[in-house]
Amino acid sequence: MISLKLVRRNLLKHKMRSALTIASLVVGIFLLCVLRSLVVAIESGVQGAKRDRLVVQSAVSLFVSLPLNYQAKMEEVPGVAKIVKWQWFGAYWQEPKNFFANFATDPDALFDVFPEIEIVEGSVEEWRKDRRGCIVGDKIAEEYHWKVGQTIPLISAIFPPPQGDTWEFTVSAIYRPKSTAIDRRTMFFQWEYFEKGVEPLYGESPGTGTYFLRLAPGADQNEVMRRIEAMYENGPQRVTCSTEAAFQMQFVTMMGNIPTLMMSIGTGVLIAIALACVNTMLMAFRDQAHDVGIMKALGFTDGGVAGYMLSQSLFLCLLGGLLGVALAKGSQPLLMMGPMGAMFPGYDVTNRTMVIAASLSAAIGLVAGFVPALAARRMRSVDALRSVE
Amino acid sequence: MNDAMIRARGVKKTYTRAGETLTVLDGLDLEMEEGHFYALMGPSGSGKTTLLNLVGGLDAADEGELLVAGESLADLSGGELAAWRAANVGFVFQAFNLIPVLSAVENVELPLLLSPLNRAQRREHAMYALKLVGLEDRAKHRPQQLSGGQEQRVAIARAIATDPKLILADEPTGDLDRKSAEQVLDLLVRLNGELKKTILMVTHDPHAAERAQRVVHLDKGQLGRVETRAAAAT
Repeated sequence: MISLKLVRRNLLKHKMRSALTIASLVVGIFLLCVLRSLVVAIESGVQGAKRDRLVVQSAVSLFVSLPLNYQAKMEEVPGVAKIVKWQWFGAYWQEPKNFFANFATDPDALFDVFPEIEIVEGSVEEWRKDRRGCIVGDKIAEEYHWKVGQTIPLISAIFPPPQGDTWEFTVSAIYRPKSTAIDRRTMFFQWEYFEKGVEPLYGESPGTGTYFLRLAPGADQNEVMRRIEAMYENGPQRVTCSTEAAFQMQFVTMMGNIPTLMMSIGTGVLIAIALACVNTMLMAFRDQAHDVGIMKALGFTDGGVAGYMLSQSLFLCLLGGLLGVALAKGSQPLLMMGPMGAMFPGYDVTNRTMVIAASLSAAIGLVAGFVPALAARRMRSVDALRSVE
Repeated sequence: MNDAMIRARGVKKTYTRAGETLTVLDGLDLEMEEGHFYALMGPSGSGKTTLLNLVGGLDAADEGELLVAGESLADLSGGELAAWRAANVGFVFQAFNLIPVLSAVENVELPLLLSPLNRAQRREHAMYALKLVGLEDRAKHRPQQLSGGQEQRVAIARAIATDPKLILADEPTGDLDRKSAEQVLDLLVRLNGELKKTILMVTHDPHAAERAQRVVHLDKGQLGRVETRAAAAT
């Protein structure tokens, strides 16, 4: 049996040492949570991708638009059930730091191809009826305090508005996706509004950046991709048709090896913390070797004193780790308000990340306490008492 | 009261230091009766503390048989020996050996953590032991807030908290002034007389040894003369 009071008192005996060790754990675990959440955010699109969805884009670049008449022809390809077009709009609210993803699209087709988009406030009917209507993810609605029915003026860095300085939208509904293929910080608005606004400037209907295709049940994915690419092999605009996962992956690969780099940094941080904790616990054992000798003389078993040393390490590391987790979770709204929110809209310190971080803290505690625990177990009472007397 | 609390037969203990083997106890034969107060005397290096450690199960003999409180210590595993020690032996050290981060009452409670008592019962037992040594009003004090004599009395309270049969005291008055030493010796005599504890006290101090009922002399690892006194002076 271990006295938790003794564990706590010994940790408080060297307040500065314990505080510094806990602080290093708080910082390290916080950093680890943030890095993992960033990696999860980067890869969330790939993870949430559906097998029955394909994406068609220009073979030249994602930034080259495809003609609108491609849609009707692609709808004739056997195996294609529904198609929706998405055009990147590149707008922000009030100032550039309030940047989020926004797309012009077809309201009806959007829900056919992305059934995981769930309206939680307002209605799709309202959106259909209102040419300036839009639906927004619950995260941006919460962040910018937008309400259903509110008019929001946006400034697009790509498409100047037909009149005035801003494009005006009305929040028709707020959605929350049931998968990570759609993030919670995106806005979708009516294609018609976009087309009518842009047409006078360009003198023709705008194209679209991407088409999302939903396959019919049992359709041969590879055959559909092959046929669509073959259809436009000789122009006017060659296309690439890929799975949704492959499409999302290109955004991950655009960042090079950043996820790997992030996790490497995280691992490095973890090792550094573990070494600091090992050092702290070795010093703690050196201080308490005499106490261990006394406890053994009083009848505490070898396992009991080993557990006593190990529990100190676990207590210290778990306390620091849990504070780090709390800091990561608590600072999330603050981080999302900055540029990080715009760059990584899917950033979220998930329960899984918190459990992993807490488990790693416990693991560090076990590693740091292992050597002192072993030494306490092996130490003979007479030697421990003689060394001081 | 004539049962043997400690019985040693041919006990041998050697240490190897810097490649040299040193025989500390050399075939020691010894018998100590239950309920008596023994003083163990002898020159430095005669094996007094080594014998105390063997009797307390803190160290193991190389050869021979050692029975303490009816148990052959050589037959016990590490865990069994720890449990036996917790139940049967109370230690009092020269340097007091209290845990500095715990208060007096918490130090006394420490061995009781190994007993089946609940928290309230442990506290009750610890307070009773402190009362026996006259320090119930110092229960909340940390060791560094106590005098040497008070620290040693707390250590004695800790030694008797689990109500062991045997108390092993290694130079309990060695670090104390004369007045504090007398108080500690008075206490040991009381524990022997009133609570019938068997006490084995290692000492260099002939004055302290006078308080014991029997004085056992060790010399070069072997039993020397044994002096018997009529009664312990209180």
